[in-house]
Amino acid sequence: MRNIQTVAANTFREAVRDRVLYNLVFFALLMMGAAILVGQISIGIEQDVIVSLGLTAISVIGIFIAIFLGVALVSKEMDKRTLYALLAKPVKRREFLLGKFFGLVMTLTVNTAAMAAGLYIALWTVKHPLLKSDAYILVAVYLILLKLALIVALALLFSCFTTPFLAILFTAGMYVAGLFAADLRTVHGVDIDPGALRLMRGISYLLPNFQNFDVMGAVVHGRGVPSVIVWQATLYAILYITIVLTGAAVVFSRRNLK
Amino acid sequence: MAAVLLAGFVCVWKLQERVDAERTTLQLGNDELSLRSPAVMKKLSLEYAPLLGAIYWTRAVQYFGGKHQAHDQNLDQLWPLLDIATTLDPNLLVAYRFGAMFLSDAPPRGAGQPDHAVELLQRGMKANPVYWRFYQDLGNVYYFDKKDYLKASQAFEAGSKLPNTPPFMKIMAAKIAGEGESLETSFALWLDIYRTSTNQDMRKNAEDHLRLVKMEMDLRAINQIADVYEQKTKQRAKRISDLAQAGLLAGQPQDPDGFPYVLGEQGKAEPNPKSPLREEWLKEKKQRSNELLK
Repeated sequence: MRNIQTVAANTFREAVRDRVLYNLVFFALLMMGAAILVGQISIGIEQDVIVSLGLTAISVIGIFIAIFLGVALVSKEMDKRTLYALLAKPVKRREFLLGKFFGLVMTLTVNTAAMAAGLYIALWTVKHPLLKSDAYILVAVYLILLKLALIVALALLFSCFTTPFLAILFTAGMYVAGLFAADLRTVHGVDIDPGALRLMRGISYLLPNFQNFDVMGAVVHGRGVPSVIVWQATLYAILYITIVLTGAAVVFSRRNLK
Repeated sequence: MAAVLLAGFVCVWKLQERVDAERTTLQLGNDELSLRSPAVMKKLSLEYAPLLGAIYWTRAVQYFGGKHQAHDQNLDQLWPLLDIATTLDPNLLVAYRFGAMFLSDAPPRGAGQPDHAVELLQRGMKANPVYWRFYQDLGNVYYFDKKDYLKASQAFEAGSKLPNTPPFMKIMAAKIAGEGESLETSFALWLDIYRTSTNQDMRKNAEDHLRLVKMEMDLRAINQIADVYEQKTKQRAKRISDLAQAGLLAGQPQDPDGFPYVLGEQGKAEPNPKSPLREEWLKEKKQRSNELLK
């Protein structure tokens, strides 16, 4: 456990040193620009745009960080050959992987929390005081964070057995496919073979369903999210991340690092 | 180095201005929507449909405002833009309400497409079943633009059954069912929009309509007084002052913009030729006579 903590803390420190949190400046500028502009060029959607733009930026920036840094977590250590020095110490491979995962999730949590604070400040500038319903934004931010953790796990898995470039493609592909997972179950067509339909249905349940974490449509309009959805999404994320990280640990422990 | 970069950007800026000027002469409209299928748009937007919906709504506002400013009455792209915006975000209430207003109002105020306005509002009701304002808007479209008073009354009636609906809805349902079109009903409808809208543009639109309806009510009252004058004196009054001198009017009545009313050639009350409201009044009069001819 201590090994995992040490690797996680170092991963977080490394991300900060790599100026990953600089994206917050971009986010701040984006939110300020939106807060000033939108009220002047549109009608009645100042708040909607601030919230949807803020949540979209939190999600998109987070996804970029999760995919690119997630893939680099292992490959960078191998390229720099620091991995060998680390594994020579009493650190198990699975501990290294888990430490890396939690380190990046910690980075993403800090990043997301800072962006959420920026979103609230922008919202406060277009309408004050803030309302009770504005607290629902935090639910959306929390679900985005769960989604990002799942993407980090996928990126780690792919980076354990393929090149960084392919790992990025696979992770991004899984993310996009995961957004359409539910649609695979509802495909209709005259000429589709029933076997193929069953296969698609099976695949749709195997793919990570990223729609589970999407509550932006409700939150943007100040509508609450039922707690059961939040709990289910949390459970889904924990379960799926556990499966993916277990897979990653198995692949990584069998990988020939010579 | 900095000076070179600065000079370079100045050149680019100037060149772009020239390019813009040239392209204006080509009259290449930017109206065309490259992607017309709202369903495909929704899929392509991944999980970011609400933001895209807001962007398309802003595009619709900009499109409408731009056309309005250019006095261009071709608003063909308005419906597709609203269609996409509301498909991307079915809970974007403002897009349904304003969109219906933009679509239903007769030119030059709007696109003159009340059927699309009805479709938009009905779609809004489906996605937001307890939002009673859509029923009020639908009633208004049927009342003002489609002149279908039965359906207008039904829309108000249906809306009045929803939770938290003000008594106004039930009153309007009964009033329209009983009277059909009347200046008093029109005034009450616009007054409610004016009083309850928090949006400046919506209030301005209601205020414009209220001024027109108020003027119509004034003209009707003056004409009634002129009829009384005619009955008494066996001749039609030539000036408003004749009515005042006969003790039928307290003074010189003025329109909402402060311009005194006048009597036309046939002794009928009219807005002052200098009044900005006169042009609107003439347009409405022409529109009404066209409808009667139909």
